[in-house]
Amino acid sequence: MKRIVFLLGIGFLFSIPQITHGQLLKKLKEKANNAVNKAVENKTGVSNETKSANNTSEPQSQTNSSGNKPVNKGGAGLKNTAPPDVNAAMDNAGKSFSAKDYSDARYEVQQALMGIEIQLGRELLKSLPDVVDGLQKDTTEDKVVSTQWGWNNMTIQRVYSDKKDKQLTVTIGNNMLYSGLVNAYFGNAYAVQANSQDQNVKQVKVQGNKAIISYEDSKGYSLIVPVGQSSMVVWECINFANEDEVMAAANAFKIDDIKKSLGEK
Amino acid sequence: MLFYGITVQAQDFAKQIADAKSSYSSGKLADAHFSLEQAIQEIDMIVGKEVLKLLPQKMNDMDAVTNDDQVSANVGFVGATVHRGYGNTGSQVEIISNSPLISSLNAFLNMPLMGGLMRNSTTKVVKIQGYKSRLEKQGDNENGKPNYQLQIPFKSALITVTANGMDESAVLSFANNIPLDKIAALIQ
Repeated sequence: MKRIVFLLGIGFLFSIPQITHGQLLKKLKEKANNAVNKAVENKTGVSNETKSANNTSEPQSQTNSSGNKPVNKGGAGLKNTAPPDVNAAMDNAGKSFSAKDYSDARYEVQQALMGIEIQLGRELLKSLPDVVDGLQKDTTEDKVVSTQWGWNNMTIQRVYSDKKDKQLTVTIGNNMLYSGLVNAYFGNAYAVQANSQDQNVKQVKVQGNKAIISYEDSKGYSLIVPVGQSSMVVWECINFANEDEVMAAANAFKIDDIKKSLGEK
Repeated sequence: MLFYGITVQAQDFAKQIADAKSSYSSGKLADAHFSLEQAIQEIDMIVGKEVLKLLPQKMNDMDAVTNDDQVSANVGFVGATVHRGYGNTGSQVEIISNSPLISSLNAFLNMPLMGGLMRNSTTKVVKIQGYKSRLEKQGDNENGKPNYQLQIPFKSALITVTANGMDESAVLSFANNIPLDKIAALIQ
Protein backbone atom coordinates (compact mmCIF):
# COMPACT_ATOMS: atom_id res chain seq x y z
CA MET A 1 0.00 0.00 0.00
CA LYS A 2 2.80 2.39 1.01
CA ARG A 3 4.53 1.65 -2.29
CA ILE A 4 1.38 2.54 -4.25
CA VAL A 5 1.07 5.81 -2.37
CA PHE A 6 4.76 6.51 -3.04
CA LEU A 7 4.38 5.79 -6.76
CA LEU A 8 1.26 7.95 -6.97
CA GLY A 9 3.19 10.71 -5.20
CA ILE A 10 6.05 10.46 -7.71
CA GLY A 11 3.54 10.45 -10.59
CA PHE A 12 1.93 13.58 -9.20
CA LEU A 13 5.30 15.30 -8.94
CA PHE A 14 5.98 14.63 -12.62
CA SER A 15 2.52 15.65 -13.75
CA ILE A 16 2.48 19.19 -12.39
CA PRO A 17 4.05 22.09 -14.29
CA GLN A 18 7.76 22.85 -13.94
CA ILE A 19 7.45 26.02 -11.82
CA THR A 20 5.06 24.45 -9.35
CA HIS A 21 7.36 21.46 -9.34
CA GLY A 22 10.29 23.66 -8.31
CA GLN A 23 8.30 25.40 -5.58
CA LEU A 24 7.04 22.11 -4.23
CA LEU A 25 10.54 20.66 -4.14
CA LYS A 26 11.75 23.77 -2.32
CA LYS A 27 9.00 23.41 0.27
CA LEU A 28 9.73 19.72 0.66
CA LYS A 29 13.40 20.53 1.12
CA GLU A 30 12.64 23.15 3.74
CA LYS A 31 10.35 20.77 5.62
CA ALA A 32 12.99 18.04 5.47
CA ASN A 33 15.63 20.48 6.73
CA ASN A 34 13.38 21.57 9.59
CA ALA A 35 12.69 17.98 10.56
CA VAL A 36 16.40 17.11 10.52
CA ASN A 37 17.28 20.25 12.48
CA LYS A 38 14.69 19.43 15.14
CA ALA A 39 15.98 15.89 15.43
CA VAL A 40 19.59 17.11 15.77
CA GLU A 41 18.46 19.77 18.26
CA ASN A 42 16.80 17.12 20.41
CA LYS A 43 19.89 14.95 20.39
CA THR A 44 22.56 17.62 20.91
CA GLY A 45 20.62 20.11 22.94
CA VAL A 46 21.97 22.97 20.76
CA SER A 47 19.25 25.01 19.09
CA ASN A 48 19.25 25.77 15.36
CA GLU A 49 19.23 29.50 16.03
CA THR A 50 22.42 29.23 18.12
CA LYS A 51 24.08 27.27 15.32
CA SER A 52 23.20 29.82 12.68
CA ALA A 53 24.46 32.62 14.90
CA ASN A 54 27.79 30.81 15.22
CA ASN A 55 28.06 30.07 11.51
CA THR A 56 26.70 32.87 9.39
CA SER A 57 27.94 31.45 6.09
CA GLU A 58 25.73 28.38 6.29
CA PRO A 59 22.35 30.05 5.65
CA GLN A 60 23.91 31.96 2.73
CA SER A 61 25.17 28.84 1.03
CA GLN A 62 21.79 27.20 1.60
CA THR A 63 20.07 30.12 -0.10
CA ASN A 64 22.46 29.88 -3.04
CA SER A 65 21.83 26.22 -3.56
CA SER A 66 18.07 26.58 -3.37
CA GLY A 67 17.56 28.89 -6.34
CA ASN A 68 19.37 32.21 -5.93
CA LYS A 69 22.21 31.27 -8.25
CA PRO A 70 24.88 33.93 -8.75
CA VAL A 71 24.20 36.07 -11.79
CA ASN A 72 27.05 36.87 -14.17
CA LYS A 73 27.54 40.64 -14.13
CA GLY A 74 30.05 40.83 -16.96
CA GLY A 75 33.33 39.57 -18.33
CA ALA A 76 35.78 40.31 -21.09
CA GLY A 77 34.17 37.72 -23.38
CA LEU A 78 36.20 35.65 -25.77
CA LYS A 79 39.30 36.89 -27.55
CA ASN A 80 38.88 37.35 -31.25
CA THR A 81 41.04 34.49 -32.50
CA ALA A 82 42.37 34.57 -36.03
CA PRO A 83 41.13 31.83 -38.32
CA PRO A 84 43.40 28.78 -38.51
CA ASP A 85 46.70 29.42 -40.32
CA VAL A 86 46.13 27.48 -43.51
CA ASN A 87 49.79 27.06 -44.51
CA ALA A 88 50.82 25.92 -41.02
CA ALA A 89 47.89 23.49 -40.85
CA MET A 90 48.80 22.00 -44.25
CA ASP A 91 52.45 21.61 -43.18
CA ASN A 92 51.40 19.96 -39.92
CA ALA A 93 49.04 17.66 -41.81
CA GLY A 94 51.92 16.48 -44.01
CA LYS A 95 54.15 15.86 -40.97
CA SER A 96 51.43 13.94 -39.08
CA PHE A 97 50.66 11.89 -42.16
CA SER A 98 54.34 10.94 -42.60
CA ALA A 99 54.39 9.89 -38.94
CA LYS A 100 51.27 7.76 -39.61
CA ASP A 101 49.33 9.83 -37.08
CA TYR A 102 46.26 9.85 -39.31
CA SER A 103 43.84 11.21 -36.72
CA ASP A 104 46.02 14.29 -36.27
CA ALA A 105 46.60 14.63 -40.02
CA ARG A 106 42.83 14.69 -40.53
CA TYR A 107 42.39 17.30 -37.82
CA GLU A 108 45.02 19.55 -39.40
CA VAL A 109 43.43 19.27 -42.85
CA GLN A 110 40.08 20.17 -41.27
CA GLN A 111 41.69 23.23 -39.68
CA ALA A 112 43.09 24.26 -43.07
CA LEU A 113 39.63 23.82 -44.60
CA MET A 114 38.08 26.02 -41.93
CA GLY A 115 40.74 28.66 -42.48
CA ILE A 116 40.06 28.70 -46.22
CA GLU A 117 36.29 28.81 -45.75
CA ILE A 118 36.47 31.76 -43.38
CA GLN A 119 38.86 33.61 -45.69
CA LEU A 120 36.64 32.86 -48.66
CA GLY A 121 33.54 34.01 -46.79
CA ARG A 122 35.16 37.29 -45.81
CA GLU A 123 36.25 37.95 -49.38
CA LEU A 124 32.77 37.17 -50.61
CA LEU A 125 31.29 39.61 -48.10
CA LYS A 126 33.66 42.31 -49.36
CA SER A 127 32.44 41.76 -52.91
CA LEU A 128 28.76 42.26 -52.00
CA PRO A 129 27.17 45.68 -52.71
CA ASP A 130 27.21 48.38 -50.01
CA VAL A 131 23.68 49.60 -50.70
CA VAL A 132 20.71 47.57 -51.94
CA ASP A 133 17.37 49.19 -52.70
CA GLY A 134 18.30 52.16 -50.54
CA LEU A 135 19.21 49.90 -47.62
CA GLN A 136 22.71 50.28 -46.13
CA LYS A 137 24.83 47.25 -45.24
CA ASP A 138 25.05 46.56 -41.52
CA THR A 139 28.52 45.06 -41.12
CA THR A 140 27.91 44.31 -37.44
CA GLU A 141 25.57 41.55 -38.63
CA ASP A 142 28.13 40.05 -41.06
CA LYS A 143 28.60 36.36 -40.39
CA VAL A 144 30.88 33.69 -41.78
CA VAL A 145 30.28 30.28 -40.28
CA SER A 146 32.38 27.27 -41.04
CA THR A 147 32.11 23.86 -39.45
CA GLN A 148 34.69 21.16 -39.21
CA TRP A 149 32.62 19.05 -41.57
CA GLY A 150 34.18 20.38 -44.72
CA TRP A 151 32.30 22.44 -47.27
CA ASN A 152 28.90 21.47 -45.97
CA ASN A 153 27.06 23.92 -43.79
CA MET A 154 29.27 26.86 -44.62
CA THR A 155 27.18 30.00 -44.23
CA ILE A 156 27.88 33.61 -45.17
CA GLN A 157 25.34 36.24 -44.10
CA ARG A 158 24.95 39.97 -44.68
CA VAL A 159 22.14 42.21 -43.46
CA TYR A 160 20.96 45.44 -45.15
CA SER A 161 18.68 47.72 -43.21
CA ASP A 162 17.16 51.20 -43.14
CA LYS A 163 17.44 51.08 -39.31
CA LYS A 164 13.66 51.22 -39.13
CA ASP A 165 11.49 48.35 -40.22
CA LYS A 166 12.75 47.42 -43.65
CA GLN A 167 15.43 44.78 -43.84
CA LEU A 168 17.09 42.48 -46.35
CA THR A 169 19.14 39.49 -45.23
CA VAL A 170 21.18 37.65 -47.81
CA THR A 171 22.56 34.24 -46.89
CA ILE A 172 24.98 32.39 -49.10
CA GLY A 173 25.27 28.79 -48.04
CA ASN A 174 26.81 25.60 -49.15
CA ASN A 175 24.77 22.69 -48.03
CA MET A 176 24.21 19.81 -50.33
CA LEU A 177 21.37 18.46 -48.22
CA TYR A 178 19.15 21.55 -48.33
CA SER A 179 20.20 22.61 -51.79
CA GLY A 180 19.26 19.14 -53.04
CA LEU A 181 15.79 19.56 -51.53
CA VAL A 182 15.31 22.86 -53.31
CA ASN A 183 16.45 21.32 -56.57
CA ALA A 184 13.96 18.50 -56.06
CA TYR A 185 11.29 21.18 -55.68
CA PHE A 186 11.95 22.35 -59.24
CA GLY A 187 11.14 18.89 -60.51
CA ASN A 188 7.58 19.31 -59.29
CA ALA A 189 6.33 22.39 -61.13
CA TYR A 190 2.74 21.18 -61.22
CA ALA A 191 2.43 21.24 -57.43
CA VAL A 192 3.88 24.72 -57.34
CA GLN A 193 1.49 26.16 -59.90
CA ALA A 194 -1.66 24.23 -58.97
CA ASN A 195 -2.86 26.39 -56.12
CA SER A 196 -3.19 29.44 -58.34
CA GLN A 197 -6.02 31.15 -56.49
CA ASP A 198 -3.93 31.85 -53.42
CA GLN A 199 -0.45 31.63 -54.80
CA ASN A 200 2.29 32.41 -52.33
CA VAL A 201 5.06 30.32 -53.86
CA LYS A 202 6.22 30.43 -57.42
CA GLN A 203 9.17 29.90 -59.70
CA VAL A 204 11.05 32.84 -61.14
CA LYS A 205 14.44 33.44 -62.72
CA VAL A 206 17.19 35.60 -61.26
CA GLN A 207 19.95 36.46 -63.74
CA GLY A 208 19.09 33.35 -65.70
CA ASN A 209 19.09 31.06 -62.63
CA LYS A 210 15.95 29.22 -61.63
CA ALA A 211 14.63 30.46 -58.30
CA ILE A 212 11.70 30.14 -55.91
CA ILE A 213 10.00 33.16 -54.44
CA SER A 214 7.56 32.87 -51.58
CA TYR A 215 5.55 35.24 -49.43
CA GLU A 216 4.18 34.95 -45.92
CA ASP A 217 2.51 37.77 -44.00
CA SER A 218 4.52 37.01 -40.89
CA LYS A 219 7.91 36.70 -42.62
CA GLY A 220 7.72 38.78 -45.77
CA TYR A 221 9.34 37.66 -49.03
CA SER A 222 11.90 34.87 -49.42
CA LEU A 223 13.81 34.25 -52.62
CA ILE A 224 15.96 31.13 -53.00
CA VAL A 225 18.40 30.57 -55.85
CA PRO A 226 20.27 27.27 -55.96
CA VAL A 227 23.73 27.92 -57.34
CA GLY A 228 25.85 25.25 -59.00
CA GLN A 229 25.77 21.76 -57.55
CA SER A 230 25.44 22.38 -53.84
CA SER A 231 25.23 26.07 -52.97
CA MET A 232 22.39 28.52 -52.71
CA VAL A 233 21.67 32.15 -52.13
CA VAL A 234 18.67 33.15 -50.04
CA TRP A 235 17.23 36.65 -49.73
CA GLU A 236 14.80 37.34 -46.89
CA CYS A 237 13.03 40.63 -47.42
CA ILE A 238 11.02 42.19 -44.60
CA ASN A 239 8.58 45.01 -45.36
CA PHE A 240 9.23 45.07 -49.09
CA ALA A 241 6.32 46.56 -51.02
CA ASN A 242 6.06 43.91 -53.70
CA GLU A 243 7.64 41.11 -55.66
CA ASP A 244 9.27 43.50 -58.16
CA GLU A 245 11.14 45.26 -55.39
CA VAL A 246 12.48 41.90 -54.16
CA MET A 247 13.62 40.94 -57.65
CA ALA A 248 15.33 44.31 -58.13
CA ALA A 249 17.14 43.87 -54.82
CA ALA A 250 18.30 40.38 -55.80
CA ASN A 251 19.57 41.68 -59.12
CA ALA A 252 21.93 44.02 -57.27
CA PHE A 253 23.98 40.90 -56.45
CA LYS A 254 26.17 39.30 -59.12
CA ILE A 255 25.28 35.64 -58.88
CA ASP A 256 27.96 34.61 -61.37
CA ASP A 257 30.64 36.16 -59.16
CA ILE A 258 29.27 34.36 -56.11
CA LYS A 259 29.30 31.09 -58.08
CA LYS A 260 32.90 31.67 -59.11
CA SER A 261 34.00 32.39 -55.53
CA LEU A 262 32.42 29.18 -54.33
CA GLY A 263 34.06 27.18 -57.10
CA GLU A 264 30.67 26.26 -58.57
CA LYS A 265 29.89 25.85 -62.26
CA MET B 1 31.82 8.03 -52.81
CA LEU B 2 35.08 6.17 -53.22
CA PHE B 3 35.28 2.45 -52.75
CA TYR B 4 38.04 0.20 -51.62
CA GLY B 5 38.58 -1.01 -55.17
CA ILE B 6 40.11 2.32 -56.09
CA THR B 7 43.80 2.26 -55.30
CA VAL B 8 44.84 4.66 -52.59
CA GLN B 9 48.46 5.44 -52.00
CA ALA B 10 50.28 7.65 -49.57
CA GLN B 11 51.63 9.81 -52.39
CA ASP B 12 48.04 10.74 -53.33
CA PHE B 13 47.75 12.55 -50.03
CA ALA B 14 51.05 14.35 -50.57
CA LYS B 15 49.91 15.36 -54.07
CA GLN B 16 46.59 16.75 -52.80
CA ILE B 17 48.37 18.77 -50.11
CA ALA B 18 50.88 20.08 -52.68
CA ASP B 19 48.00 21.05 -55.00
CA ALA B 20 46.18 22.74 -52.12
CA LYS B 21 49.31 24.73 -51.20
CA SER B 22 49.87 25.85 -54.75
CA SER B 23 46.21 26.88 -55.24
CA TYR B 24 46.18 28.67 -51.90
CA SER B 25 49.34 30.62 -52.60
CA SER B 26 47.90 31.77 -55.94
CA GLY B 27 44.64 32.84 -54.25
CA LYS B 28 42.47 30.10 -55.75
CA LEU B 29 40.64 29.37 -52.52
CA ALA B 30 37.91 27.15 -53.95
CA ASP B 31 40.51 24.97 -55.71
CA ALA B 32 42.58 24.72 -52.52
CA HIS B 33 39.42 23.73 -50.70
CA PHE B 34 38.69 20.98 -53.20
CA SER B 35 42.21 19.55 -52.92
CA LEU B 36 42.00 19.51 -49.12
CA GLU B 37 38.70 17.67 -49.28
CA GLN B 38 40.39 15.10 -51.49
CA ALA B 39 43.22 14.88 -48.96
CA ILE B 40 40.74 14.10 -46.18
CA GLN B 41 39.23 11.37 -48.31
CA GLU B 42 42.69 9.90 -48.86
CA ILE B 43 43.22 9.83 -45.09
CA ASP B 44 39.85 8.19 -44.52
CA MET B 45 40.62 5.52 -47.08
CA ILE B 46 43.99 4.74 -45.50
CA VAL B 47 42.49 4.76 -42.00
CA GLY B 48 39.75 2.41 -43.22
CA LYS B 49 42.35 -0.03 -44.53
CA GLU B 50 44.25 0.16 -41.24
CA VAL B 51 41.04 -0.54 -39.30
CA LEU B 52 40.31 -3.57 -41.47
CA LYS B 53 43.74 -4.95 -40.56
CA LEU B 54 42.79 -4.68 -36.87
CA LEU B 55 39.46 -6.50 -37.15
CA PRO B 56 39.46 -10.18 -36.05
CA GLN B 57 39.82 -12.82 -38.76
CA LYS B 58 37.01 -14.88 -37.24
CA MET B 59 33.65 -14.20 -35.65
CA ASN B 60 32.91 -17.22 -33.49
CA ASP B 61 33.40 -20.05 -36.03
CA MET B 62 32.84 -17.85 -39.10
CA ASP B 63 35.76 -16.69 -41.23
CA ALA B 64 36.08 -13.08 -42.36
CA VAL B 65 35.00 -12.54 -45.98
CA THR B 66 37.90 -10.27 -46.82
CA ASN B 67 36.94 -10.16 -50.50
CA ASP B 68 33.91 -8.12 -49.49
CA ASP B 69 35.91 -5.69 -47.33
CA GLN B 70 34.83 -2.18 -48.14
CA VAL B 71 35.98 1.31 -47.23
CA SER B 72 34.25 4.47 -48.33
CA ALA B 73 35.22 8.09 -47.73
CA ASN B 74 32.98 11.10 -47.97
CA VAL B 75 33.60 14.57 -46.63
CA GLY B 76 30.41 15.94 -45.18
CA PHE B 77 27.44 14.41 -43.48
CA VAL B 78 27.96 10.74 -44.16
CA GLY B 79 31.57 10.40 -43.04
CA ALA B 80 33.77 7.40 -43.70
CA THR B 81 32.59 3.81 -43.48
CA VAL B 82 34.35 0.48 -43.08
CA HIS B 83 32.67 -2.86 -43.72
CA ARG B 84 33.80 -6.41 -42.93
CA GLY B 85 31.55 -9.43 -43.38
CA TYR B 86 31.79 -12.83 -41.61
CA GLY B 87 30.51 -16.19 -42.90
CA ASN B 88 27.35 -16.26 -45.00
CA THR B 89 24.79 -15.36 -42.33
CA GLY B 90 24.87 -11.61 -42.81
CA SER B 91 27.11 -11.16 -39.78
CA GLN B 92 29.31 -8.12 -40.11
CA VAL B 93 31.12 -5.23 -38.53
CA GLU B 94 30.30 -1.71 -39.80
CA ILE B 95 32.17 1.36 -38.67
CA ILE B 96 31.02 4.87 -39.48
CA SER B 97 33.41 7.63 -38.50
CA ASN B 98 33.79 11.38 -38.67
CA SER B 99 30.13 11.94 -39.29
CA PRO B 100 28.09 14.72 -37.64
CA LEU B 101 25.02 12.54 -38.13
CA ILE B 102 26.65 9.94 -35.91
CA SER B 103 27.25 12.57 -33.23
CA SER B 104 23.49 13.15 -33.13
CA LEU B 105 22.80 9.41 -33.16
CA ASN B 106 25.21 8.91 -30.29
CA ALA B 107 23.48 11.63 -28.28
CA PHE B 108 20.29 9.66 -28.86
CA LEU B 109 21.94 6.40 -27.88
CA ASN B 110 23.00 7.97 -24.61
CA MET B 111 19.47 9.07 -23.69
CA PRO B 112 17.72 6.24 -21.90
CA LEU B 113 14.30 7.92 -22.10
CA MET B 114 14.59 8.11 -25.88
CA GLY B 115 15.17 4.39 -26.17
CA GLY B 116 18.94 4.67 -26.16
CA LEU B 117 21.10 2.93 -23.61
CA MET B 118 18.21 1.33 -21.78
CA ARG B 119 17.09 -2.06 -20.64
CA ASN B 120 13.94 -3.72 -21.92
CA SER B 121 12.96 -7.19 -23.10
CA THR B 122 15.16 -7.05 -26.21
CA THR B 123 17.75 -4.41 -25.38
CA LYS B 124 20.35 -4.02 -22.71
CA VAL B 125 23.44 -2.00 -21.95
CA VAL B 126 26.72 -3.85 -21.80
CA LYS B 127 30.30 -2.76 -21.34
CA ILE B 128 32.79 -3.81 -23.96
CA GLN B 129 36.36 -3.10 -22.86
CA GLY B 130 34.97 -0.24 -20.75
CA TYR B 131 32.88 1.29 -23.56
CA LYS B 132 29.15 1.50 -22.85
CA SER B 133 27.33 -0.27 -25.66
CA ARG B 134 23.80 -1.19 -26.66
CA LEU B 135 23.04 -4.87 -27.28
CA GLU B 136 19.78 -5.65 -29.03
CA LYS B 137 18.29 -9.05 -29.79
CA GLN B 138 16.81 -8.96 -33.27
CA GLY B 139 14.68 -12.09 -33.47
CA ASP B 140 15.90 -15.53 -34.47
CA ASN B 141 17.36 -16.89 -37.68
CA GLU B 142 15.79 -19.77 -39.66
CA ASN B 143 17.51 -22.30 -37.38
CA GLY B 144 15.94 -20.74 -34.31
CA LYS B 145 19.21 -19.21 -33.14
CA PRO B 146 19.21 -15.59 -32.00
CA ASN B 147 20.43 -12.60 -34.02
CA TYR B 148 22.09 -9.73 -32.22
CA GLN B 149 23.16 -6.20 -32.97
CA LEU B 150 25.72 -4.47 -30.81
CA GLN B 151 26.28 -0.71 -31.11
CA ILE B 152 29.39 0.85 -29.63
CA PRO B 153 29.20 4.66 -29.87
CA PHE B 154 32.25 6.93 -29.86
CA LYS B 155 32.31 10.72 -30.23
CA SER B 156 31.59 11.03 -33.93
CA ALA B 157 31.93 7.35 -34.77
CA LEU B 158 29.82 4.25 -34.33
CA ILE B 159 30.84 0.59 -34.46
CA THR B 160 27.95 -1.76 -35.22
CA VAL B 161 28.42 -5.51 -34.88
CA THR B 162 25.71 -7.64 -36.44
CA ALA B 163 26.03 -11.21 -35.19
CA ASN B 164 23.46 -13.63 -36.55
CA GLY B 165 22.78 -17.13 -35.27
CA MET B 166 24.86 -17.07 -32.12
CA ASP B 167 24.21 -16.67 -28.42
CA GLU B 168 24.85 -13.55 -26.36
CA SER B 169 28.07 -14.76 -24.77
CA ALA B 170 29.55 -15.50 -28.21
CA VAL B 171 28.64 -11.99 -29.42
CA LEU B 172 30.23 -10.38 -26.38
CA SER B 173 33.29 -12.58 -26.65
CA PHE B 174 33.73 -11.56 -30.31
CA ALA B 175 33.26 -7.87 -29.45
CA ASN B 176 35.86 -8.16 -26.72
CA ASN B 177 38.33 -9.44 -29.29
CA ILE B 178 38.06 -6.24 -31.36
CA PRO B 179 40.95 -3.93 -30.38
CA LEU B 180 38.60 -1.00 -29.67
CA ASP B 181 41.23 1.30 -28.18
CA LYS B 182 43.43 1.02 -31.26
CA ILE B 183 40.46 1.53 -33.61
CA ALA B 184 39.22 4.49 -31.56
CA ALA B 185 42.66 6.10 -31.80
CA LEU B 186 42.50 5.79 -35.59
CA ILE B 187 38.95 6.86 -36.29
CA GLN B 188 38.40 9.70 -33.82
